[in-house]
Amino acid sequence: MKSKLLFLSIVICLLICIQSCAKKNGTAEKKRLTIAVIPKGTIHEFWKSVNAGAAKAASELDVDIIWKGPLKEDDRESQITVVENLVNRGVSGIVLAPLDDTALRIPVANARWAGIPVVIFDSGLKGEDFISYVATDNFEGGRIAGKYMADILGGKGKVIVLRYTEGSDSTTQRENGFLATIADFNGIEVVSSNQYAGVTTESAITAAENLLSRFRTAEGDIKVDGIFCATEPTTLGIIKAMEGLDMLGKVKLVGFDSSNKMVDALQKGNLSGFVVQNPMEIGYLGVKTMVSHLRGQKVEHRIDTGATLITTANINEEKIQQLLKPDLEKWLK
Amino acid sequence: MKMIDDNKFSLMSVLNKFGPFLGLLLIYGLLVAFGPDNFGSAANLETIARQTSIVGIAALGMTLVIILGGIDLSVGSIVALGTVIAASVLQYLVSKTEASSMFDMLSLRADAWMAIVAVVAVLVASAICGVINGLIITKLKVVPFIVTLGTLLLIRGTAKGLANQQKVDAPFSWLNQLLAPPSYEQRWILFAPGVWIMIILALLVICILKYTRFGRHIYAIGSNEQAARLCGIAVEKVKLMVYITAAWLAGIAGILQFSRLSVGDPTVASGMELDVIAAVVIGGGSLSGGEGSVTGTIVGALIMTVIRSGCSQIGLPNWIQEIVTGIIIVMAVTIDRMRHSNTK
Repeated sequence: MKSKLLFLSIVICLLICIQSCAKKNGTAEKKRLTIAVIPKGTIHEFWKSVNAGAAKAASELDVDIIWKGPLKEDDRESQITVVENLVNRGVSGIVLAPLDDTALRIPVANARWAGIPVVIFDSGLKGEDFISYVATDNFEGGRIAGKYMADILGGKGKVIVLRYTEGSDSTTQRENGFLATIADFNGIEVVSSNQYAGVTTESAITAAENLLSRFRTAEGDIKVDGIFCATEPTTLGIIKAMEGLDMLGKVKLVGFDSSNKMVDALQKGNLSGFVVQNPMEIGYLGVKTMVSHLRGQKVEHRIDTGATLITTANINEEKIQQLLKPDLEKWLK
Repeated sequence: MKMIDDNKFSLMSVLNKFGPFLGLLLIYGLLVAFGPDNFGSAANLETIARQTSIVGIAALGMTLVIILGGIDLSVGSIVALGTVIAASVLQYLVSKTEASSMFDMLSLRADAWMAIVAVVAVLVASAICGVINGLIITKLKVVPFIVTLGTLLLIRGTAKGLANQQKVDAPFSWLNQLLAPPSYEQRWILFAPGVWIMIILALLVICILKYTRFGRHIYAIGSNEQAARLCGIAVEKVKLMVYITAAWLAGIAGILQFSRLSVGDPTVASGMELDVIAAVVIGGGSLSGGEGSVTGTIVGALIMTVIRSGCSQIGLPNWIQEIVTGIIIVMAVTIDRMRHSNTK
C-alpha cells in the first residue's frame, strides 16, 4: 500500500516537473493574441453566424479565438463560470454577449480588475467596466423601418405598432425608433401603439386578431393602412391574423428579423419588407474591436453593426442573399 | 497468510478513504501539467473553491439523504426559489424605505438588517419545502424519488410565479460579498466567505454524523430500515429531520447563488440536483443507503468543478465537456462497486 502511494506521489511530482519545463518553452511564443468569445448559447442559428464572423476576424487579424458558450444554454450561472474560468486562463481579451445586463456585471468588473479587457457585443451590460459595446443600433433599425413605411404609404395613412413584450430593451428601441420617424410625417397617424403581442407566434395571433378586428367595419372596410412589429414571431402572428381577416396585401406590413417563413411571405406579397441585423458582422466587429484595442488603437465606445431593409426590390441582390444565407461553412470548419 | 490479508485490508481501507481524493489530485495534476499555463495558480484554486461552494453545500444535505437511503431531486428548485425570495425581499424592503417610486434598483444599497431579513426568509421558505418533502414521504409513504420529482416542479413553478416569470433585480448588500473573490487588502482570508461557510457546514455535518445519536440513526436506517425500526429508532422523525436539513442546506446554497448572480433568477440551477447527486456518488455515497462521507462529497464536487474549469480553459467544446464528465461519473461509480465486491 505504501508503495502504491509512493508511486502516485512520484507520478504527480513528475507531472509537475514536466509542466514547469513546458512552461519555459512556452514563454517564447507568447506573443500571439488569444481572444475568448462568449456567446449566450451555441445551438441557435443566430450564434452560428456570429461564430462565423468571429472566426473570419480571427483569421484576417491572425489571432486565436476560443469560442465558449455557457454549458447550459441561456443559463446565467454557467456564463458567469465560463467568464471566470477564461479570466483565470489569462486570455488576452474577452468578447462577451451577456445573458443578463445585471448578473454579468460583477464577473466583468473582476476581469477588468485582473487586467483583462472586455468588449460587450450583441446585448448590453450595465456599468462602465468594458471598453466598447458592439451591437445593432436597434433605434436606427426602427428608423429604417419607419422611413420605408412612410415611403410605401406615400406619406399619409393610419398605422399600428404591435409591440413585442414588456421589458425587452432591444425591441422597445426598435419600436421607439419607428415611432420617432413616423412622427415626422404629418399625414401619418399612429392609431395604436400600446398593445403587446407576447413572445410566441401563438400569442401574437390572438393579440393581432383582437387589435385588427377593431379596424375592420362590418361592411368589410379596413381602416388601417400600415402595421409595424419588431420581431419575427410577431410578424408571423400578424400575417396569420391578417389572413383570417382578409387583410393580406391590403394593409402594408413591415417586420423585423428574418427567417425562411418571412422570406416566403415577402415573395408572396404578404409582407412589404423587413429589417435584419447582421449577426456575422456582430461577431466580426466584436473580435476586431478587441484586437484593435489590444494593439493600442483607440476604439469607439459604441459600435453599430448595422441594420438592412429587405424588400422584393433588393432580395435577389448578392449582398442581401449573403446576409440572409451567410456562408458559414467557409469559416466554421 | 494473515499478514497478506491484513495488508490487503489496509490497502482497501486506504483506497476507500482516499480513493476520490487521489482521483481529484490526479485530475488536477494532469490539468496543471498539460492544461493551460495558469491552471495551477492560486487565483485559479480560489476560483475553483468558489465555484464549488454552491453545489458543495447542497451536496452536504444530499449526503445525509443518500446515507438515509433516500433521494432529493428538489434541491435545484429550492436554490432557484432561494434566489427569487432573497431578491424580492431586498427589493420590497428597499422600496418601502425609499420615498420616490421611480428609482434604479442597482444604484441602491440595502442596509445590513435587510439582508439578514432576506436570509431568514430564504431559510424559512426552504425549511417549508423540506417539511413538505418529508411529510409526504413519511406520512403518505410515497417513494422519495417520486415525491421530490413532483416537488421539483412544484417549487420551480412557485419560484417562477413569485418572480413573475422574469428575473428579479435587487439592490446591493453585504450578501453580494459572500462569493466575491477576496480583494488585495483582504487576501488574508484566503477564500471568499461563501467557501468558509461551506467548510464550516461540512465540519458541522461531519460532527452530526459522527458524534450525535441523530447521525447514528441516519446510518442505521440507511443500512437496514426494518432493523432500525425494531431497535426502537423513531424512523419517521429522523427522516423528516433529514429532509428538512437537506432543504435548509439547499436554501443556504440558494443564498450563495443569489450572491453570485446579484439578481433573483427563477430558471437558475435547473438540473443542479444531478450535479449534487453526482458529487455524493463520486465521493463514495451509495444510492442504496447506509454509506457516504462528507469529505468524499466535497471532493466529488471539487472533481466536477476542476473538470469543468479545465475544459473551459483549454477551450474544449461543451459537448466534449459533457461527455468527459459523464465518463468520469460512470468510472467513479464502477470503481466504487469493484471496491465493494473486493471487500466482501
